[in-house]
Order: sequence, then structure tokens, then C-alpha cells
Amino acid sequence: MRARDLTVFALHAVGRQRLRSSLLIVAVAIGITAVMSLTALGEGARRYVIDEFSSLGTNLLIVLPGRNETTGGAPPLLGETPRDLTLDDALALTRTRLVSRIAPVNVGSAAVSVGSRERDSLVLGTTHSFTDIRQLRLSTGRFLPDVDMRRATPVCVIGSNLRDELFGASTALGNWLRIADRRFRVIGVIETSGQSLTVDLDNVVIIPVASAQRLFNTNSLLRILVEVPQVATLDKAKHTIIRIIRDRHDGEDDITIIAQDALLSTFDKLFLVLTLGVGGIAAISLAVAGILIMNVTLVSVSQRKYEIGLLKALGASRNTIRTIFVVEAILITLAGILLGLVLGVAIVQTAAIGFPQFPLATPSWAALASIGTALATGTIFAFIPAGRAARMDPVQALGGH
Amino acid sequence: MIRLRSINRIFEVGEQTVHALDDVSLTINAGEYLSIMGPSGSGKSTLLNMLGLLDRPDSGQYKLDDIETSALNDDALAAIRRNKIGFIFQAFHLIARLSAAENVELPLMLAGQQSKLRRHRVLETLSALDLSDRANHQPAQLSGGQRQRVAIARAIAMRPQVLLADEPTGNLDRQSGNDVIDVLEALNRDGLTLLVVTHDPDIGGRAKRRIRMVDGRIESDTALVAKHARA
Ligand SMILES: Nc1ncnc2c1ncn2[C@@H]1O[C@H](COP(=O)(O)OP(=O)(O)O)[C@@H](O)[C@H]1O
Ligand SMILES: [Mg+2]
Repeated sequence: MRARDLTVFALHAVGRQRLRSSLLIVAVAIGITAVMSLTALGEGARRYVIDEFSSLGTNLLIVLPGRNETTGGAPPLLGETPRDLTLDDALALTRTRLVSRIAPVNVGSAAVSVGSRERDSLVLGTTHSFTDIRQLRLSTGRFLPDVDMRRATPVCVIGSNLRDELFGASTALGNWLRIADRRFRVIGVIETSGQSLTVDLDNVVIIPVASAQRLFNTNSLLRILVEVPQVATLDKAKHTIIRIIRDRHDGEDDITIIAQDALLSTFDKLFLVLTLGVGGIAAISLAVAGILIMNVTLVSVSQRKYEIGLLKALGASRNTIRTIFVVEAILITLAGILLGLVLGVAIVQTAAIGFPQFPLATPSWAALASIGTALATGTIFAFIPAGRAARMDPVQALGGH
Repeated sequence: MIRLRSINRIFEVGEQTVHALDDVSLTINAGEYLSIMGPSGSGKSTLLNMLGLLDRPDSGQYKLDDIETSALNDDALAAIRRNKIGFIFQAFHLIARLSAAENVELPLMLAGQQSKLRRHRVLETLSALDLSDRANHQPAQLSGGQRQRVAIARAIAMRPQVLLADEPTGNLDRQSGNDVIDVLEALNRDGLTLLVVTHDPDIGGRAKRRIRMVDGRIESDTALVAKHARA
């Protein structure tokens, strides 16, 4: 029997048993829709978390002095004495195109005072890029000026809490404060963030990195924050940074690079497993649909035994009979898949409108896997009743004894 | 040419064994017209199914055109049914969801013929049976006689050599029953071998060769009687 004739014949039969066929189509559709919407939820959660993290800079590398085999840990304090990271090292990193911007960071503690009010405070030396890399927001003023990082300008940006404590009701912006024995003019105040990443930004004084080095009488840096243009080139950038520093440090690999994405990729995997899990559970409904197809086809085979007997009398081979019933099941499954996809997309889209902050979307692998599962179960389960039809004794099927 | 030799078919029903065909030997030449009569349960249908290769004997040989059929597998038997044998049933067995033309087309489709060739053959066959104007009717829209004529059209669509009709008039009134037999006899005149199982002595009597079965055995065969008479 030709493929086209088979399809038309099967379509006729499927269309004839309207209620039964629609029941099966809906069963398959429910499975597909369940997979699509549940995995959309998991994928949405994953994207939500990733987006949150990305705002902290997934394309961020942190360069620390000192070698450490395990990434993410602190550099060794004892043992080998690593070469310091210097401003010149930092400048050297800006010369590769794999790096979009850097912010050297130096940290110390010093007495900060305005008049008679004095606080012991964290002093952070860095450059203009720090705001962009760390995405700081100022409530008033500007951040450090975008000038040569080797210039020690006497300006500072202070945390909101520190501002309140030092200046009280008077204006801070444009006024001077004293860090140890040096005077700095306040040019900006950091917006209250509530949460802090590594430093308490509400109580910090940020000054140009060159000024901090003079203040603390050192040439070294605590770390260098490096931003790469694309996450994809993160690894490449990492190796380039190591090579640049090695060239500058007499061939020694004496730095550690921490990638912000290490944590992120853990979360990524976690959510993937979660999504796979719910997708798998939803896929069980597809298996149920397969069993339903099997049972309904069994009923159909016994109800259509005259037809089967007739087809055999007309010379249909076993294989033809089997194929007819399997094709019917496949057509039903395909219709169910189509309906399920439409419903799934509709549900996900509607939910996405309802929760715009939550990035709902069915991952394409989940949609493809659900289609594959539906087709596989629909076909495999149909083989059992189709085989029964193929083996039927034609005389008995035709209403003999 | 059909040659049955010592065919036995035994059914086991619970404790009982039924000898549906008991050592049946029968030779039918191409183009013959036979009727098979006999009481209910005498094995007429079983014989017809055997001849049509829908059933296999428990013992004995069946040669169809020099092919020894007992050696063949199911698919080979299906191929012979497809190409050489046409069945006509008491209950018509038309597929209700298909039109008359589509029912007639079915064997051609199963044989894998191209749809263009099929269409031509279907129209030709329907018109030979005076059914051209019923081509697109569903079986439910046809009278009993018309349905059986559609079934005959389906049986001859593949141009078989043998037509096997099991009580073809059993569900018809006398008038349409006679019409159906007229059609079958016309086909026989064109060269088809025709076997008709029937209860109706009037219809059975129209055949040139008449076989009577009792208890799974051939009790009488007019061909043998003629041979004896000549002897
Ligand atoms: N599949 C079967 N199982 C059991 N008994 C059967 C079967 N087919 C036929 N028989 C028995 O074989 C005998 C002949 O049946 P059948 O050929 O249908 O008779 P007829 O067509 O002459 O009325 C009957 O006794 C019937 O009960
Ligand atoms: Mg019978």
C-alpha cells in the first residue's frame, strides 16, 4: 500500500471515530502542554536567577596577587612571597582587546574626620571604572573622575551612612574631609544600597587608587577587577591576563583569577536539573497518553474486526494491517502534539504577560523532547494492538465461528 | 484449475471435535460454474474459505494453478488472494465510511496500484455493474442489491480468476437476489470460475455443476454423476 493511500485511509478511520480520536488527541496534548509549561517555569526560574547574577557582572574576573591552585579561595598568606600587583600591571591589562575595562582596588583602614567628628573607616582606592563594573549608584554628585589612574587627585566619594555621621545636617558635596593627615573634597555620595557585596558601601570612603597608595605608603594593589566584553571570551581573557602578568613578573605565574561565573554555573546546573526533573514528571503524562492510545486502539481493533477480515480477504498482508493501525495512532499523536504545542505556547505567553518580571519560556530542548516522547510512546504502544489486528484469523474476523 | 486432495479440517470446541471438512477431494476447471448446497453446518463455508486461502487444511493438498499452497506463508497466500481470488459475502462487508467507488478501489490500493490507473479501473468496473451513478454514495445510501453489486465490483476489480460467493443472496429479497446471480453468471460467461454457496434450491439449480455437502463430506457432485452416467 502506498504511503499516501495509507495516510488517507487512516485519516478516514480517525475522522470517523470522532469522540475517541479527540479524547486521545487531548490526552497527548495535555502531556505536551504539561511539559511545555512546567519546563517554562523551571527555565524561567533559571533565567531569573542568572539575570540577577548577571547584573552583578558575569563577565567579571578578579585578579589577586599570589598563586592559588583552587579557584575561589583566598591567596596564600604564608609560604612563597608573591610579587605585588602594581598599577603598571593593571595598566598592562588594559592593552588587550579581550578586556573592556579594569578597576584596580586598594583597601585600607584610616581615621576619617570632619572637624571634630572622626570615624575609623574603610578606605577604598580605585578608579572611575569601578562604578560601572560594580554598578554603584550615587545619590548626589559624581564618581571619581575618568583620568589617568596614576594621578592622585584629592577627591572622594563616601557612603551614605558615613556622610550622615560626618556631616550631619550640613551638605557634604563640595566640602572637605580628612583621611589620616590628607584632605579630600567630597564629590559624590553613594546611594544607600542596604545590601553590600564584599564591602559595606554605606560606610566606605572611595578615593583614587593612586591617592590610596600614597596614603598607605605602598605600591601594591589588593586586587584588580577586570571586565571582559563577552562571557564567551572569559576563558580566553583569563589566559591572556595570566600571560601578560607572567611576562611582567619574570615568567612567574603568581596571580590568582577568580571568575564570577563559577557560582553562576553552579546555579545554572542546579536549575537545569530542576527543569529536567519537572519536565520528566510531566513527560509521564505522555506515557499515560501512550497507554491510553494502546487501550483505545485495542477497542478499535476488536470493533473493526470485520474490516480487518475484509482487508485480509482482499489480500492485505499482515504488515499492511499493522501499518494501518500504527499510522492511525501516529496521526492522532501528531494532532495531539500540534494541539499541545498551541496550548503550551498560549499558556506560557499568557503567563508571561501576567508576570513580566519573570522570564518564562519553554526551552526548545524540552519542546523537542516532548514531541519525541509523544511520537515514540504513541507509536510503540500502538504496535501491540496493531500486531493483534495483523495476527487476526480472517475467517473468524469476518464473523465465522 | 483447482485441485483439492483429501482435505481435512477439524475444529476443537471444548470437548468436541468437529470434522468440518472430512477427506474432501475436488477438482474445478477454469471457467466452471458450481453451486454448493447442503444443510447448515455441513462445511460449505469452510470449503469456500479453504478454496479462498483464508483457512488452511489440517491435512491434504490444495493446488491452485500448479502452486502447492500448503507450503506458502501468510504473505504469499495474501498475494494470491489479492491477484487471483474475489470474495463475495452474505453480509456484503462494505466499509461504511467509504463511498462505493472507494470500496471498489480498496483491493487496487492494497495492491499498490497508482491512483490514476485505479480511478480508471474503478469507473470501468462500476459501469460494468450499472453502478456509475452510485459511485459517490455511501453504503448506507444504497439498497441491499446495490450493496451486493458494489461488493461484486470490489471482488472483480483486480480481475481475478476465481469468484467465491458465500450465500450472496442470503440478505436480499428474491428480485435483487436474482439480479445478483444474473451479474455473477454474466461474469462466469466472460471466463471467471464461479462458486456459489447457497441455501436456495432455485439459485443452486442454475449452476451447471452442483455439489451437495453433508457432515463435511461431498455427498453428491453432478459432474461425477455425469461421468458415471457416461460410463
Ligand atoms: N472456527 C470454528 N471453530 C469451531 N467450529 C467451527 C469453526 N468454523 C466452523 N466450525 C464448525 O464446522 C462446521 C462447518 O461449519 P461451516 O463450514 O460454517 O458450515 P456451513 O457454512 O455449511 O453452514 C460446523 O459444525 C461449525 O460449527
Ligand atoms: Mg456457512
